Amino acid sequence: MPVAARFRLNGEPTQVEVPATASLLDVIRGLGLTGTKAGCRIGVCGVCSVLVNGLPVSSCLYLAHCADGADIWTAEGIARDNPEVVEAFVRYEGMQCGICTPGQVVTALAARAELGPAPGEAQLREYLIGNLCRCTGYATIIEAARAACDGR
Amino acid sequence: MAADTRFVAPTTLPEALSALRADGALAVGGGTAVGLLLGQSLIEPRVLVWLGRIPALREIAAEDASLRVGAAVTVRELSRHPAVRSSLSALAASAAMAGNPRIRSVATVGGALAHADPRQDLPPALVALGAVVEITGPDRRRTLPVDGLATGVMQTVLQPGELITAVRIPLVPGRRSVYLRFTPGSTADYPTVAAAASACRDARGKLLSVTLSLGAAGPTVLAVPEAAGLAGQLSPSAAAVAAVADAAARRARPVSTRLGSAAYVRAMAAVWARRALAACLAYGPAGRTS
Repeated sequence: MPVAARFRLNGEPTQVEVPATASLLDVIRGLGLTGTKAGCRIGVCGVCSVLVNGLPVSSCLYLAHCADGADIWTAEGIARDNPEVVEAFVRYEGMQCGICTPGQVVTALAARAELGPAPGEAQLREYLIGNLCRCTGYATIIEAARAACDGR
Repeated sequence: MAADTRFVAPTTLPEALSALRADGALAVGGGTAVGLLLGQSLIEPRVLVWLGRIPALREIAAEDASLRVGAAVTVRELSRHPAVRSSLSALAASAAMAGNPRIRSVATVGGALAHADPRQDLPPALVALGAVVEITGPDRRRTLPVDGLATGVMQTVLQPGELITAVRIPLVPGRRSVYLRFTPGSTADYPTVAAAASACRDARGKLLSVTLSLGAAGPTVLAVPEAAGLAGQLSPSAAAVAAVADAAARRARPVSTRLGSAAYVRAMAAVWARRALAACLAYGPAGRTS
């Protein structure tokens, strides 16, 4: 039976009535925020990455009701409030087909929050493990994420 | 999946135990494994009992020469805890490598144990470190070695209504431990095989105890008791170490998967068991605990 869950989504107080087993991914997309993609649905590919209370999570493996009271950010909210992160991906061409890009942007912001400017190469790569891209070969994504961390 | 599934988020352990008495109740740590199983329609829980709001299950505390880790502590929190990093290297390493950063943010220690997927990273490290799991039921609390929890792939000795509430890891002065995983494909993949080892020496450098365990090499995490035979020596020979690694490989019960054929997993079990032991035993009798 649907139950109410309340959280902040990209800064906006949000309430949804969804089944106990609903994933945060399906709830977010159901609200029209389709930047968060549905890919593997097993927590591997990273296209459904969102921030929950500042930490990156796979929204496909996150029960929506566990987010009750949480602060959730998706690529849309980051593009609005932290456009420099998105611009870094544009500047360094950290994308090709674009499917993985919203997840990369989310993870890049999380990396910036945790690692700060001038992140170590290994630390940054470790952070981006699990945001898969089948087009670019990663070099430009890592450069874009580094620029995002540096605030360039 | 059942549309009438309920979701409850108790804030105390008694409330959680009460909720878990319901027919079809399932404890949820972070929900990553539960999400996987729901997504594959492999489970149809009637009540999801989320443990994330129970403060007592989210604590890490040193007590009685051991570290007690609450079941709802996340893998990320575990990997960053100072006592884990300074004294339980194998556990810190396994927690830093498990899944990917997004899984580690959410997945919990208790969930990893209850899920009992033999490819998971934490259990081999916990077994090598001699950890015990604390299980609380409606009427009693019991403990058992982590080694004795899983009975098969995703099967455990947990009875209906029972909940993993904590895991306790002995803090042993002078102990070294390592966790190694072999991922020939993607770094974030499940391991083809994993090995954890520990070694404890006295002040003169003599080995007091040696342990070894394997992950992903059978239906459950596998302890390798032959490693204990290395105790009593200062510096076991390469042949003695290789013999223990070979014993580990014989204990493996692998199946062929996309991560490797059964024969390959068995062969790699010997290699990674030997490497884990060698890494542990290479250290001298330094006083620092690891």
